[in-house]
Amino acid sequence: MAVDVRTTSVPASATPGSRRPRLPRAERLRQFALFGAPGLLVYTCFVLAPIAISFGYSLTNHNPFNPPTRFVGLDNYRLLFTDSEFLTSLRVTTILTVIVVIVPNVAGLGIAVLLDRKGWLYNALRTVFFTPMVLSSVVVSVVWTRMLDDEGLVNQTLRALGVEQPPGWLSDPRLALYSIAIILSWQMLGFCVVVYLAGLQGVPNELAEAASIDGAGPVRRFRSITWPLLAPSLTINTVVLLITAFKVFDHIQVITHGGPGTGTTATIAYDVLQTGLVANRQGYASAMAIVMLVIIAAAAGVTLKVLNRREVNL
Amino acid sequence: MKHKALLTALVTTMVAGACSVGDQQTAQSGGGGKKEISFLVFETPNMTPQVWDAAIKRVTDKYPDITVKKLVAPTEDRVSYAKQLLASGQFPDVMIAVSPAGFAESGAMAAFTPDELKDFDFPNNGAVQGKIYQLPTNTQTIPVVYYNKDLFAKAGITAPPKTYAELLDDSAKLKAKGITPFVIGGGKDPFASTLPWTATIATDVYAKTPDWMAKRRAGTVKFTDPDFKKATEKFAELAKQAYIDKKDVSRDYAATEQAFLDGKGAMYPMGNWFAAAGDDPKRKPSWEIGAFNWPTDDGSVVVPAFTGGGLSVSATAKNLPEAKKFALAYTLDKTNLDASVHNDGLYPAVKGYTPPADTGAVFKLGYDLYQEGVKSNTVTQAFSWEAGDDGMLPGVVDKWRAGAQDLITGNKTVDQVLASLDDEWAKAS
Repeated sequence: MAVDVRTTSVPASATPGSRRPRLPRAERLRQFALFGAPGLLVYTCFVLAPIAISFGYSLTNHNPFNPPTRFVGLDNYRLLFTDSEFLTSLRVTTILTVIVVIVPNVAGLGIAVLLDRKGWLYNALRTVFFTPMVLSSVVVSVVWTRMLDDEGLVNQTLRALGVEQPPGWLSDPRLALYSIAIILSWQMLGFCVVVYLAGLQGVPNELAEAASIDGAGPVRRFRSITWPLLAPSLTINTVVLLITAFKVFDHIQVITHGGPGTGTTATIAYDVLQTGLVANRQGYASAMAIVMLVIIAAAAGVTLKVLNRREVNL
Repeated sequence: MKHKALLTALVTTMVAGACSVGDQQTAQSGGGGKKEISFLVFETPNMTPQVWDAAIKRVTDKYPDITVKKLVAPTEDRVSYAKQLLASGQFPDVMIAVSPAGFAESGAMAAFTPDELKDFDFPNNGAVQGKIYQLPTNTQTIPVVYYNKDLFAKAGITAPPKTYAELLDDSAKLKAKGITPFVIGGGKDPFASTLPWTATIATDVYAKTPDWMAKRRAGTVKFTDPDFKKATEKFAELAKQAYIDKKDVSRDYAATEQAFLDGKGAMYPMGNWFAAAGDDPKRKPSWEIGAFNWPTDDGSVVVPAFTGGGLSVSATAKNLPEAKKFALAYTLDKTNLDASVHNDGLYPAVKGYTPPADTGAVFKLGYDLYQEGVKSNTVTQAFSWEAGDDGMLPGVVDKWRAGAQDLITGNKTVDQVLASLDDEWAKAS
């Protein structure tokens, strides 16, 4: 049977790879400005301008209750690095960040691997794990404060199990910071699970099947195929956790108010607000905020650079 | 790659967020065409939204030309919230219980004239550079020691202590029976950790040197001086002897109040506003509440108290005359004063005012104890609650509260805490 193959000619302008006539440069700039301006305006007003204003304040001794404001150059920055209170808050923030970057990442990966299956139960469990993420941090803080109280659920359970002197989770200065880190980790866990699940669903089955045929066991398959392909998920989780932990304020305000005692759980963000709005030293607090911004940006930048190197393109 | 672009946007926004601060407010607006004023309040277990709304309504019923937009401080720390509002150009027209320190000196608050203050018992209390920026509306004794008569009886204590030595003896007896002698709090409300320290400072510092804070401002006394150190050692010793449970520093104020009502400890040093809960039929415990003034070494009466706590007005209020009119009407309204007695256990310091006859038993206990101080002329300042020129420098109160928790938890010694307070004072000066 003969096959009638007909060909039709396609206009040149419609061929793949062809371009529309290029607009004049002025017109292109006008369109770029037109479409870009609203976003740029919002970003400038609500992000760049406040940062610039903060930086300006950081070069002064601004105290709204003790005028006049004087230009002090970099004095606030010099003072910061000899201020034991700021250095304590930097240490507290660093410990908190390290825990919050590691715990939800590790636990989230484990849970995501377990939930990477089909069925209503797994869908329901994904929702359960994600729920803390959508709760207000104030609600989470209040609930956990009650649970970790000496008369709360956790210590009541420990007493029922025979522990006579359960720990003061939030009242012991040596434990309170770790308790807050665990609360924050718990809240962020759902985010990590979802990101890792998305990553796992992007891993081609063919690769795992081929590796199985070649005799690779589950651990080897995970190490050699799944884990490298999850690199983008790891990058997202790590950077988001790092930034979230570094600027945590609300949990501290609601749960411990920076205590128990002096600065045992006071993060930099908490210290900024205390210095600026309680002690009224807003110039100095602005310098703290700028240093915090620089640290976060640097840490996020380095993390991105390092983790991006691990990523593979399929 | 797509995810990189998304990630970059996400990171940029989150990093930039490190420099921003948010706030929240609850609004209740009136109708248009009238003079609107904003009014900053705070909520507690005693001062509920219903209490505030009813109090506001009584005034707006009297002055229908005024409408009130109620702002609610997100925590009990309304002073910090007022500072945030001031910094963001949203300073309320009228505010209650916001210490004028700082606001007044910077010109943010309007001074009241002597004529506007003619109805108050103590018209000069809380003065800032000689002027009054907060109506001296009521007196609060801070602390009264409320106690659980059942637990005292279980420990074989038949009468409240008259001297400090007796207080320590009674605490030892209670502890021996497995009863926590003192109920304190902390967590997000660190003031609740400090009440016994306020008491020892009253008996050991203010009773001897009533103008101690003025001297501290002048630099002629320090926190490390012997009297202040003795008062602090007394407080630290209570924690060292486990008469104060160090685990209580993580419990917020509302839970602390409930813990005492639930019989979790024998003595509850607290402001006399506790009477509102102690007399509340819904919360009243089955056992009987007693009260005594914190005892001195020699048994003499000392009553720490603070008069002030009333309304202040913004100097830049759009409708300043109406704002002042509202503040005075709110303050002097007999029903509002009676309500402040019933709902917050306060003692109005308004000429000719007498508390209503139907006040509860716990209120009467505290009021009678205050009258003992008035009769013997031994009412002192209540440390950390002072206002205006008699108050601590901005930021030091929080450090002092943190110091109280350091002492309770044993995280720092008395000398370390007092030295750090002198350092903080120097920073704030």
